Amino acid sequence: MTATMTKAKAPKASARDRRGAPRAARRRGPSAYAVLVALIALAGIMLIPFLVVVANALKTPEEYAANGPLAPPEGFNLDGVRDFWERVDFGHVLLNSVLISGSVAVLAVLLSVLNAYALGIGRIRGRMWVLVLLLMANTLPQEALVYPLYYLSKQLGLYDTRLSVIIVFTVVQSAFGTYLLSSVMSAFPRPLLEAARIDGANRWQVLWRVVVPVVRPTLSVLLVFFFVWTWNEFLIPLVFLISNENQTVSVALGVLQGQRLMDATMSSAAALLGLLPTVLFFLVFQRTLSRGLTAGAIK
Amino acid sequence: MFKTGRSAALLAALAAGSLVLAACGGDGDGDGGGSGGKELRLWHYETPDSAMGQAWAEAIKEFEAAHPGVKVKFEEKGFEQIQKTAPMVLNSKDAPDVMEYNKGNATAGLLSKQGLLQDLTPEATKRGWDKLVKPSVQVTAKYDAKGTMGGDRWFGVPNYAEYLQVYYNKDLFEKHGVKIPTTFAELTAAMDAFVAKGVTPMTNAGAEYMAHQFVYQLALDRANRPWVDAFQRYTTKADLKDAAWTYGATTFADWVKKGYVAKNSVSLKAEDAGVAFMQGKFPMMFSGSWWFGRVAKQAKFQWETSTWPGAKMTLGSGGNLWVVPKGSKNKQLAYDFIDITMKKKAQDALANAGGVPVAADPAAVTEPKTKKLIADFDAMAGSDGLAYYPDWPVAGFYDVWVSQVQKLMNGTAPGEVLGNVQKAYDSGLPK
Repeated sequence: MTATMTKAKAPKASARDRRGAPRAARRRGPSAYAVLVALIALAGIMLIPFLVVVANALKTPEEYAANGPLAPPEGFNLDGVRDFWERVDFGHVLLNSVLISGSVAVLAVLLSVLNAYALGIGRIRGRMWVLVLLLMANTLPQEALVYPLYYLSKQLGLYDTRLSVIIVFTVVQSAFGTYLLSSVMSAFPRPLLEAARIDGANRWQVLWRVVVPVVRPTLSVLLVFFFVWTWNEFLIPLVFLISNENQTVSVALGVLQGQRLMDATMSSAAALLGLLPTVLFFLVFQRTLSRGLTAGAIK
Repeated sequence: MFKTGRSAALLAALAAGSLVLAACGGDGDGDGGGSGGKELRLWHYETPDSAMGQAWAEAIKEFEAAHPGVKVKFEEKGFEQIQKTAPMVLNSKDAPDVMEYNKGNATAGLLSKQGLLQDLTPEATKRGWDKLVKPSVQVTAKYDAKGTMGGDRWFGVPNYAEYLQVYYNKDLFEKHGVKIPTTFAELTAAMDAFVAKGVTPMTNAGAEYMAHQFVYQLALDRANRPWVDAFQRYTTKADLKDAAWTYGATTFADWVKKGYVAKNSVSLKAEDAGVAFMQGKFPMMFSGSWWFGRVAKQAKFQWETSTWPGAKMTLGSGGNLWVVPKGSKNKQLAYDFIDITMKKKAQDALANAGGVPVAADPAAVTEPKTKKLIADFDAMAGSDGLAYYPDWPVAGFYDVWVSQVQKLMNGTAPGEVLGNVQKAYDSGLPK
């Protein structure tokens, strides 16, 4: 897998690097340019909705009503953004989201590693069924989970606390993480494990000194995914974080959807604010992501 | 392979963060409980610049002035959040002391049946709310033991009202030499005149409430109060294929054919339709008073409103309700707050901001358009002309109406459409 990936990446990467430069120059024909143009056009099309959001975020409501959603903004009006920021105390909301998503990402990866170690490397009995169960739990719609979780959290006195959402999502995300990591770990090179054993490492040391360092690229990708997924969650935070001081970004955006009317310009401004952190996060962790979900194993 | 230092630090930081957070969670839990009559927790979902938002912000100030030492802790909520979570919130110890909630059988009625709402009947008589609110507006505030509106006990108090009216773009009427209609025959004539000039007369949104509200209004033109009570309050069995409904559906289908409403509006949202009207693309919009403030602020042409030409009954009702959850810890303060919003000062503020107050003093309203808005409502409510909304009677009816009227616009026979609506109605009726 890794081998094929490196091969596939080589021509692209080599355009600017020392070893492959002459070879790449030879290969770049008219078809390569055609592909480039097509890709740029595609990227442009993908960016259109984003541009519409930006344009509407910068309009005044009067401009929106007069010219409609597709017209370019007449000026640079940041009132929508500022009003929304103040209305929902966005800084606080952002902090909530970061705390919740961050904790979930870390805890869920930790839980997944421990589970997957038992299932993939420990090969406990009935691991097939555990995995099938986890996969089934993964396909359950959240709407079905909401009521049982609500009663549980109320019994435990955790209703309307950020902790309840962290626990729920740690479990939900680690179900997927366990499934994925188990299959990665079941393909783990046995000789490595045996070598560690012969050197006298116990199970705990094998996990932290041998297994985790090798599957670390996969773990960091999972971390990023869990963060982004949890960030975008709507229904469970909506139900569990009822007071405004516990709200997350996606729930705060919902405040703008009125019963019959919507404020299109402010919604766009809010969407922009809600989107920026994830974009930023992607840019920071872009390299991790491009390494692919199943990267790893012996180098 | 051993460059783990940095990421380990990151992990540790995040883990530490989560621990701090857990501690926060514990704290937040603690101070939810003992507010000891020093705090009124208030939730509503009106935007700050809407008429209700403005009037209620005033009411909060007035309440705090009248109750020294009591703080109002207001949280602005999203409509959807309240809709989805109200039963769960009210059933927990985190319920607010007073909140805005949707009127109707499937919402406030259901909660009252589940015992989650405080019975406000004694307060309503003691404080005179039953005198302030007109009987036809009271219907949505009072529920019976089954949770059906029009009952005998107050479970909420409406402080504003809403109804449907026609918005006219006077500039377009003048430009095309058409007279603003006052009777139904004139309305049809005016629409013919516009079609002849190549202008689509009515803005419409098939993917949302606008389209089926036309059908209901047209049916209402041939209906009477017992018909409405049968349909909305199950007093007798409602026949959705009777003469009135058939007239409504057939006429609307006819309107689509004649081009009174655009055929391609079948997939539009109400927001699109409203914005198109405010851009001056359509001479008329038939929609609710909830657009009034926005049209006033954003339309750049001369306009006016009136009730549906020639209508004895139209769509409308009391607005959303103030409800007091059973679990509220400061019920007296909640009643006091509701009382303040019902007083003349708050009601006048509501009227002047472009809302329709339930207990208005028309003399206090200065702006002529708003005056007409309130006078029209008072006339309609006074003559028992509020017929509520077609999607109210059974749960999930809204989606049925939208999809069936879309079919109607696309050419399905009115009889078949009404048959499907009847099926959904019959299967959804409370047993």
